[in-house]
Amino acid sequence: MEMTRKAFIQTLAGAAAAASIPISSASESTPAPAAATKMKLGATVYSYGADIRSGSMTLEDCIADIADMGGEGIEILGEAHVPDYPNPSEKWVAQWFGWMEKYKVKPSGYDTFVDSMFYSNRMLTTDEAAERLAVDFKLANRLGFKALRQQWPPYPADNKADEINAPYVKSKQAMETIMKALPAAEKYDVRMGIELHSPTQLKSGFVDSILEVIAKTKTKHFGFCPDFSAFVRRPQRRTLAGLVQQGARKNIIDYIASAYEQRLGPEKTVAEVKKMGGNEIELRYAGIAGVYHLSNNDPKDLAPLVPYVYHVHAKFYEITDALREYSIPYEEILPVLDKGGYTGYLSSEYEGPREDHTTSAAIRAHHAMCRSILGITA
Amino acid sequence: MPVQYNILDKGFKNIRQNGQITGFQVAVRDAYYRGIYLPIIDSFEVTIDGQTFAGDQVKCKFRDNIYTQKDLQNHPNERWQWLEPCTLMVAKPGGLKPGFHDVKVVVKERISYMPVIPAVRTFTAKLALVA
Repeated sequence: MEMTRKAFIQTLAGAAAAASIPISSASESTPAPAAATKMKLGATVYSYGADIRSGSMTLEDCIADIADMGGEGIEILGEAHVPDYPNPSEKWVAQWFGWMEKYKVKPSGYDTFVDSMFYSNRMLTTDEAAERLAVDFKLANRLGFKALRQQWPPYPADNKADEINAPYVKSKQAMETIMKALPAAEKYDVRMGIELHSPTQLKSGFVDSILEVIAKTKTKHFGFCPDFSAFVRRPQRRTLAGLVQQGARKNIIDYIASAYEQRLGPEKTVAEVKKMGGNEIELRYAGIAGVYHLSNNDPKDLAPLVPYVYHVHAKFYEITDALREYSIPYEEILPVLDKGGYTGYLSSEYEGPREDHTTSAAIRAHHAMCRSILGITA
Repeated sequence: MPVQYNILDKGFKNIRQNGQITGFQVAVRDAYYRGIYLPIIDSFEVTIDGQTFAGDQVKCKFRDNIYTQKDLQNHPNERWQWLEPCTLMVAKPGGLKPGFHDVKVVVKERISYMPVIPAVRTFTAKLALVA
């Protein structure tokens, strides 16, 4: 419709005025979880390693991204994400809390490591290991963390036969380290969630030894951090594709994948692949105990541990178009945690092909999946 | 060559001491997802245009401090911080000619929870030396 220039400018001004009236008291509609579950979604900045390495994202960008997708919890590694670890400046710490405030997120989990093979000529003593953990606990407390992804200290297994599950083994020295670190955990108000990562067996002397200590001491500072790599039903598609590229034959790789799904175990699988005339690559894959063969735990076996779960690594590799994790039965695992009374964070930990500029989309798909399984609609 | 983030262009140069070129230096960033305390480093090895340097021939510089590889064991509270460079200082009288060089760096670290100790990472790059 024709109008005078003056009238046109007036319509623009009118439109601008109308647009400036907020439609709600929230400045932007960021999805917030409804009361479908008490568990909270977040992510570990570890997922964004490629983006940070290439310079396309800063730590703040990662926090902003997690907040933008509706995440509430931020997990970091002290040894990666804290400048001048373990002694960041007061200025940086103030900035950290500024980011928590600005993006309306909370510190969810802090990752600790035990470098038992610290020196070339000897292992750390359990005293030294516990002292170094105390340094992390102090920093975690300084940054507002209450829960830790605590690495089970990698010391030799009490029973040599358990070494196939290393480092997730019953170990006198590992337990000693944790017990020596416990007073510092209490002092700094942090909870050691021992990561149950593949190749952990949930039904094992390892897990039982932890449950025994918790029952005996009634401690509230030592428990678990399940990592969903412990519930891998079938190998990642890209792992299999990569093996074929390296010279493995599809029929043999398919056999190994099915052997894994049936929990055949490495010895029997290797024997079978030998009969099939397997080449070096195929035999090596058949024999990988650890992050493969022994990580097919039944999610139901997580149930007795839930009262002692302080943090969760919601590990994922590939979210399909149907919003399911290709290898990991989220629809079976999440209800076990939820019904078991876990109210902490599900921290997305992406271990698919982390390439620059692809992490955000991957984590968003992961959150969309978790929300759909948990019935979070807002 | 494909994009790589581990061998840096910045810092690749000859080392001059008292008017002589005594070697060359090249900076590396680790491929690991966290920083580590120095004693955890098992070794650095540098191969330049097919010639390999190791042990006492390669010193390492973290921030402002230079160490021999053996001496790393004596610094349990110093770190190779995540994404920061380590400058490897290689003894090679006469240094390198200006122009392109094939660089390979092998880093070995005792990462305690991994199935293979030490973890071995190999980085390669074609770098241009100015002077």
